[in-house]
Amino acid sequence: MRPFHYTRAGDVAEALRILSQDEGAALIAGGTDLVTLMRDGISGPSHLVDVNGLGLDEVRWLPGGGVRLGAMCRNAANDSRLRRAYPVLSEALRSGASPQIRNRASVGGNLLQQTRCTYFRLPEFACNRRNAGSGCSALQGDSHAQAIFGASSQCVAVHPSDFSVALQALDAVVLTEGTRGRRRIPVDQFFRLPGDTPQVTTELRRDELIVGVELPDSPFAARSHYVKFRERASYAFALVSAAVAVEVRSGTVRSARVALGGVAAKPWRSQAAEEALVGARLNEETIAAAGDAAARGAQPQRHNAYKVELVRRVVRQALSELG
Amino acid sequence: MAIGKAISRVEAGDKVTGAARYTEDVRVAETAHAVLLGSAISAGRVRGIDTRRAERAPGVLAVITHLNRPDFAAVPPTPYTAEGRMPLVDDRIHYAGQYIAVVVAETREQAEHAATLVVVDYHRTSPVPTLDAALSQAYIPRENGLARVPSEYRRGNAEAALAAAPVRVEEEYRTAALSHAPIEPSSTLAYWEGDRLTIYDSTQSVHMHRPLVAIAFGVPEDRVRMYCSLVGGGFGNKSYSWPHVFLAPMAARVVRRPVRVTISRKQVFTGTGHMAATVQTVRLGADQDGRLRALIHDSVNQTSFIDDRQETASAITPYVYAVPDLYARIRVTKVNTGTGGAMRTPGDSAGAFALESALDELAHRLGMDPLELRRRNHADVDPVSGRPWSGKQLLACYDQAAERFGWDRRNPEPGSARDGDDLIGYGMAGGQRTEHQRPAQATVDLTDDGTAVIRSSMVEIGGGGLTTLSQIAADGLGLPTAAVTFQHGDSALPAAAPTFGSMTSGSTGSAVKLAAADALRAAIDLAVGDRRSPLHGADPDDVVAHEGGLRLRDRPGDGESYRALLRRNRINTLRGDGDFQPEGEDAEHAMATFGVHFTEVRINRYLPRVRVVRHVAAFSIGRVLNAKTARNQAQGGIIMRLGAALMENQRPDPVSGRFISPALTDYHVPVNADIGEIDVIFVEEPDTNANPLGARGLGEICAVGICASVANAVHHATGKRVRSLPITPDKLL
Repeated sequence: MRPFHYTRAGDVAEALRILSQDEGAALIAGGTDLVTLMRDGISGPSHLVDVNGLGLDEVRWLPGGGVRLGAMCRNAANDSRLRRAYPVLSEALRSGASPQIRNRASVGGNLLQQTRCTYFRLPEFACNRRNAGSGCSALQGDSHAQAIFGASSQCVAVHPSDFSVALQALDAVVLTEGTRGRRRIPVDQFFRLPGDTPQVTTELRRDELIVGVELPDSPFAARSHYVKFRERASYAFALVSAAVAVEVRSGTVRSARVALGGVAAKPWRSQAAEEALVGARLNEETIAAAGDAAARGAQPQRHNAYKVELVRRVVRQALSELG
Repeated sequence: MAIGKAISRVEAGDKVTGAARYTEDVRVAETAHAVLLGSAISAGRVRGIDTRRAERAPGVLAVITHLNRPDFAAVPPTPYTAEGRMPLVDDRIHYAGQYIAVVVAETREQAEHAATLVVVDYHRTSPVPTLDAALSQAYIPRENGLARVPSEYRRGNAEAALAAAPVRVEEEYRTAALSHAPIEPSSTLAYWEGDRLTIYDSTQSVHMHRPLVAIAFGVPEDRVRMYCSLVGGGFGNKSYSWPHVFLAPMAARVVRRPVRVTISRKQVFTGTGHMAATVQTVRLGADQDGRLRALIHDSVNQTSFIDDRQETASAITPYVYAVPDLYARIRVTKVNTGTGGAMRTPGDSAGAFALESALDELAHRLGMDPLELRRRNHADVDPVSGRPWSGKQLLACYDQAAERFGWDRRNPEPGSARDGDDLIGYGMAGGQRTEHQRPAQATVDLTDDGTAVIRSSMVEIGGGGLTTLSQIAADGLGLPTAAVTFQHGDSALPAAAPTFGSMTSGSTGSAVKLAAADALRAAIDLAVGDRRSPLHGADPDDVVAHEGGLRLRDRPGDGESYRALLRRNRINTLRGDGDFQPEGEDAEHAMATFGVHFTEVRINRYLPRVRVVRHVAAFSIGRVLNAKTARNQAQGGIIMRLGAALMENQRPDPVSGRFISPALTDYHVPVNADIGEIDVIFVEEPDTNANPLGARGLGEICAVGICASVANAVHHATGKRVRSLPITPDKLL
């Protein structure tokens, strides 16, 4: 670990000021990911700006519908109204990490957690994401955990978050504040695919911080579900996960969202699967078609062809359990 | 009688309150901290190493590399020196993470920071990354300290018998490299006073490891004092002295201060060994009635470029079943990883996966119940030596465990049992482990406050030895267990057997029993010779220990307490000596431990993750010393191997060979939610052929056979035979 300055920010303005003044500055909230990255020599910030004193930890229901989660809400957020209105969100949160980590980890930090790609996490390997232009050891490496959608010749890593997959299915909006003002960034745009710049993982600017996440009122949110499939019963990242949300009226699907975790560098929205659902009856046949559609276009690496079949099955399972 | 009772661990209170002192908790004034820099490449040389910036960093006391290190006096012998190459001895790199520099600073953080400032210029050569890449180069190692088990065993003509057998199974089985992953990272604290070295080390045996350090530094063994009271999990990786153990005293000499090295969590995975991956073939030939005619078991494991270390997967095979014609072979092949180490249960657990899977395949082919197949091939005597077994209760284990499990409810047809979307499978497998014994010494002091003190260098690794050995002394002296205390984990004490190889109960336990008997004898002699004693003049053979003192066997009223006896004679302590010497190869009986496992798995047919919902095991280990710690240890061994069966996999990078699961986040072991019901049966029969105590080892046999039992259950549930561990969901889609 490298020496660093530490400031406990009193307000958002102070945090932003340090971010804009010191290019090596980084925010720390729960620290559940950043501390590991620093210990492992992956991240070496010159200045840590502690945002735990900023408040930003409210769950606020909006008068026009929808809810706003403060960036500093913990991943252990267990709000009964939230659970009813957005079941997929609560389920995704509960499926992540361990109780201890959830008590510590923040909403904003969850979005910004780094990939678990072992080639990123071990500094001995070349990694374009960690060190732009250095190459990607994962391309010739063990790819069992890597992406099957949206990868590039520069990076094949996946985003590890469960929470973000639910946000993707709920059309959530990331709220940011920066020295140049506030922004509302739809979650699908917030995360970036690697392309030629895998080191840039989100739309967040250097001098910006996440202040919250807004979940709009939607016709499909109340009937939503998260299925996470992993190697052990608990405390493991997803091999593949699916967040689904479906609005059914008069027996017909009117609108739907299908988002996948563990398959891409961002929570992966499958519009093909959504299209297979909309306008059809939510029966076994439709569900199977949606599963197939979700897997279409997958480009597996050498060791992860199994994920393609898993996508089909996890999507089917999630939709079947919607009832 | 305390022996056999379900007594909670004597150190449990200290452990749950944090009062227990592990090696890392030891504090010595003026201690400096060393951090070990590992190689970023897995094969090549250090062409240059620039330490100037690191040396100027705050708090740095020294940076030691192959260029400026002091010489070791000698290379101590393997196998308990884990690597045959001493650290920093030259510029060569054999595996990723191999230590190439030691940074010593006032604080650990300063040392960690300075280590990031060392600039290394590597000359890379092309590594051999995986067992597969090296498989064609497999060879039989020359026998040496590490390759201790004969590499080949032959009886009859297995090839001819196989060719003639009417039914055959010939398959390849694979086991993954596994990490011990103990909670406690290894830690060593060393300081010199002249040529006297004091060393606190997280070791499974102070007496096995002390001479290694003495040889490496060229000092007489009695100048080295090694301590380790408690180990926070080892599973074999602390049964060797790994390079950091030698680097701590070296650094302490260089900076002339106490130096502590605690390896990082990542270094636990690269610097303290692993169970090597194996590729095994098993060829079985049998009659139609299931009698085995031929068995060929061939194993290849990866080893490092430094050492030839066998994962002795087929070593037990000749001893397990009554097969007339048999050939077993162990080969190794060189890969750019570190040297493997013994991991619970070395050789046998990997080997049992192959052998017991193949037997299941044979049973399936014969249309025979897999348990019946094993009964038919039961080895009534040791097939290798022809000697009778001592206390083999395997058939009783079969019966009791099968009944408890409900094996008779099993419909042999794969895929026949379902519950909703769950496929249900029943599987079983056997296990055997050769019983090892070592000389062990202990003393038991009777004190004038009526208590007893055991003195033996035993290290408590979590298996319950402090408790069970206290029970032995308590029974020997007629004291409650609470009146016995234990001085342990110090090389100045009498030498215990190491806390590995399942030797605590049988060997150190016997030494304690002998010592307690000796102390009792001394007390009796004192009493019968003491005119003021109510036992004066009695025949010593008529005097027995009873409730804190002595009395006549036939006249319970006549006697006195130890306290009264010792105080009256102004004796503070009466010492009893115990020296256990195993009979070894000359014994009349063959000795082993035996077990059988029955497993129920449930597998969702759409999302196929194997869940072990129920597991019943029975063991034949002679006498059980403590029903609670024994059950606990057996459950732990079973859970450990459920991990190997279902998730544990130390994957090598296919290009560099570097292990790519460097943290507990990535290296999956079972969590509580993965564990179903685990039922353990002990078929007890005190085995006094084995030793005076009648107890054989449990720590290892409990972890043999589980993987095959799970794999066989998976086959029963799905019809799919998985011959490569771990059985992860991708293999069942």
